[in-house]
Amino acid sequence: MSGPYLHQDISRRTLLARAGQLGFLGTAAPLAMNLASAAEAAALGADDYRALVCVFLYGGNDYGNTLVPYDTINYSRYARIRGGVAFQRKDLEKTALTPIRPQTLTDNLQYAFAPYCPRLKILFEGGKLAPLLNVGSLITPLTLAQYKSSNRALYPLPPKLFSHNDQQCTWQAMGSEGATVGWGGRLGDLALAGNDHALLTCISAAGNAVFVSGDKALQYQISPEGAIAVKAFREPEYGSPAISEALHQLITQQRHHAMENELSVLARRSIEMEGVVNGALADINLQTNFVPVPHENPLASQLKIVARLIGARKQLGVKRQVFFVSLDGFDHHSDLMAKHADLMAKLDEALASFYTATVEMGVQRQVTAFTASDFGRTLANNGDGSDHGWGGHHFIVGGAVHGGQYYGTAPHVSVDAEDQVGQGRLLPSTSIDQYAATLARWFGVPDGEMAAILPNIANFDRGPLGFV
Amino acid sequence: MAVLVDSRPAMKASIAQGKISEAEAARFLLRAQFSAPDADIAFVRARGFSAWLDEQYKIPRAQTGVDWLTEHHHDAITKDAHYFWPTAGDYMIWNQMLAQPGEMRLRAAYALSQFFVISLNPIDGFWPPYIMAAWWDLLVDGAFNNFRDLLERVTLNAGMGMYLNTKGNLKEDKASGREPDENYAREVMQLFTIGLRMLNPNGTEKKDANGRPIDTYSQDDIMNLAHVFTGYDHDFDRVKHINVDWQNYPVITHEFCVDPMKLDPSKHSNLAVNFCGASIPANTPGKDALKIALDTLFHHPNVGPFFGRQMIQRLVTSNPSPAYVARVAAAFDDNGQGVRGDLKAVWRAVLTDPEALAAHDPADRFAGKLREPVLRLTSWARTVGLHCASGEWQIHNLSRSDNSLGQSPLRSPSVFNFFRPGFVPAHTSIAEANLVAPEFQLQNETSTAGYINFLQWMVRWGYGDVKPTYDPMREFAHDPDRVVDWLNLHLAAGQLSPETTKLIATALASKMVTQESPDEHKLDLLASASLLVLSAPEYLVQK
Repeated sequence: MSGPYLHQDISRRTLLARAGQLGFLGTAAPLAMNLASAAEAAALGADDYRALVCVFLYGGNDYGNTLVPYDTINYSRYARIRGGVAFQRKDLEKTALTPIRPQTLTDNLQYAFAPYCPRLKILFEGGKLAPLLNVGSLITPLTLAQYKSSNRALYPLPPKLFSHNDQQCTWQAMGSEGATVGWGGRLGDLALAGNDHALLTCISAAGNAVFVSGDKALQYQISPEGAIAVKAFREPEYGSPAISEALHQLITQQRHHAMENELSVLARRSIEMEGVVNGALADINLQTNFVPVPHENPLASQLKIVARLIGARKQLGVKRQVFFVSLDGFDHHSDLMAKHADLMAKLDEALASFYTATVEMGVQRQVTAFTASDFGRTLANNGDGSDHGWGGHHFIVGGAVHGGQYYGTAPHVSVDAEDQVGQGRLLPSTSIDQYAATLARWFGVPDGEMAAILPNIANFDRGPLGFV
Repeated sequence: MAVLVDSRPAMKASIAQGKISEAEAARFLLRAQFSAPDADIAFVRARGFSAWLDEQYKIPRAQTGVDWLTEHHHDAITKDAHYFWPTAGDYMIWNQMLAQPGEMRLRAAYALSQFFVISLNPIDGFWPPYIMAAWWDLLVDGAFNNFRDLLERVTLNAGMGMYLNTKGNLKEDKASGREPDENYAREVMQLFTIGLRMLNPNGTEKKDANGRPIDTYSQDDIMNLAHVFTGYDHDFDRVKHINVDWQNYPVITHEFCVDPMKLDPSKHSNLAVNFCGASIPANTPGKDALKIALDTLFHHPNVGPFFGRQMIQRLVTSNPSPAYVARVAAAFDDNGQGVRGDLKAVWRAVLTDPEALAAHDPADRFAGKLREPVLRLTSWARTVGLHCASGEWQIHNLSRSDNSLGQSPLRSPSVFNFFRPGFVPAHTSIAEANLVAPEFQLQNETSTAGYINFLQWMVRWGYGDVKPTYDPMREFAHDPDRVVDWLNLHLAAGQLSPETTKLIATALASKMVTQESPDEHKLDLLASASLLVLSAPEYLVQK
């Protein structure tokens, strides 16, 4: 509940601002245009459009209360282990899931979505959403004995397990904090040559994220309102054209100092792309209501601008795009029942609206969204929350998804089975690399390129997981 | 907005005699605090860096955040449930950042707030502003004390208890499967004391016999340590319960925000704890267990280089040499009188290190750090003067990067601060050189434009009734060269090149402001000058 923002008028005017209105901006080098020709990466040879959208749940999503054991036997195990953070079984009736084709899971598990996810249930039962069970960071497949082994040369562990920042980075870039190339960015590297605007290949609507940073592909940042124009160029107010021109020169000039120069590079990119992006977005207005219940949903706002950019794909001349959006606040050490509910409701609303928007634009088979998170959490409770874990459950949503059934291996509902490392911290049975490889193949990456994107993929069964 | 007292003897000392130039003094001051008032520049030039630090260490802290809130009636129990609103938490911290005297202590506290992180964002329940004010006051009070004392206060702080869940943390219960909450146990090690990897005294990672890094702790250490932090909750002893007719439960008063959390031995785990080589026997009383745990962390050899390197990054440079880190770590380990953890010694080591004070080499393409948005605003405000007619300082959360500053104090998105000490901006020559630039984590296409748009309004019209006065500059506002030179010294320590100052002065001259021009025109010029300087890459990178 913060007060009114100072500059509510800025966003309004930004939306009205359009490309090419200022003469002196035209002299800036068409930086982004040059990137495409500079890219030497293999083109994906795409003649259609495809977009991958990573939906990152920052903080480590609680898998136990996302897909909840619903059959009576497993539910009672769940309720016993979860104590004060368990749902009532009756509250799960409306979101209990029935696979499209009968499927037998571990211990005959049946799941329900968290009660706040009615729209995700509809997507599942309509075959547009696939859950991938117990996926997480691994370098090689591991059994519990191998996990406990001291032979780390033979059974290496992902570095810095259970640590937020490092496992976020592992999910996004297969390396701990400090990595500068994400696997979404590597997909972008392959797509650069096919896009007129190389800079619009990898886009984050959620601030800096290594996921969308490639070897060559840069990450472009967009705000929910679109690209942001430097207002002083068009409305000098108390300034003057001379002040505006000096400002433009100052913030875009080449500098000898590396950090100063990077600021100038960013400013040039910001200015140049604002005209291109807002120009293309001007005609894209979606009927889909992303916030059916009036409240703040930052994930829905981000997915809405992603949908509008996808809507502008022809104007922008892009064939392959990788997007990053996120929702914060999943580190539910306490008050899990109330706070997780709120976030799951936002996720439900945002993902379902986004899918609806792709249907509205007729691109539902060309757009695949998938979730990721720092890690799963413990199944054991700490009174009113859960702690950092490892494997977790994730979703893939889209018209090309073979949904309505589960992928991966369902974990036992337990705190001492062989598929977890204590307190219900899941030992992943599917690796991020396998998850990513399946999405990458759909995106158009040939098998021969896969090892360059996912260095550990050779350690796993190379077959795609089949969810898309 | 100079804050030093005029009567200090050094003020009378003649300036320009010492070896320290005006620009060097300003450069030092813009690291040690937010701004470089003329009085401080003169003091540093006359008496030296270390003497200036000695003076700052003697200045008692100014009004506390808690007292300010109460003076401004933010403790009022009103029907609109003001007691649940976070808003005054932002007013409180902006008042502290922009208006309270004792800049160096506040600057140090702000650096500490980026190491020991809590954020107003998720703080809910009664009196969020008081939770944040008590937290801020703790950092301001502790800024010139000992790290060990600060660590204990941080651990038991009411807001930290909410943020990392020590509040309400219960001992294990085998019957129900309940385990202690691990959040604080993990982050107190990973972020507040020792970090993830064993370090050499110079901050580089130690390696095992096979050349691999060595973890400082395991998940097992965390699960053990978590028991130490069980049994705590807010202390309601001094709290009054006020019945009101608009809700069916009483409103509680805000003393629990200020008082350290209280231990309930019946909820505290009595299991033996073994972590990081320390052993706490079963049935050790909670208070003693806490002492052993915090002593263990405090005496870990990692703390000096881990903490010291990050303080260098906050105040001086993103990429200190290992030798510089080692010198600061040595000061942490021993202040020269055998005391470990003396923060005064740490600030002195950080700010007066030969590497920090060496003249900037224009050939060095990687020197310094990007100024973070909060520091840009604070530095400008304290330099040109800011006046709030109502005294309420109603500046809100400025976190949004598309239409606001892009950062707000005590509003970090997570316990990992606004940016990570190891952040590498991809596709830059900084990355190619294997260097880091933490503040670049906030810099992107959106924030670049959003920041300039925010400035365009702020530097001319202010924010609500908080307005720039430009008092120190009005008398020469008709002289563009002098305006630019003055801003160059006071905001950028003379680091704007002649080309840049000429570019700005020429643009300002086109406004044709004369001595006789109306005040509005002079303010237009001074605002334009501020906008240009604060947007210039040469200013934005503090070298």
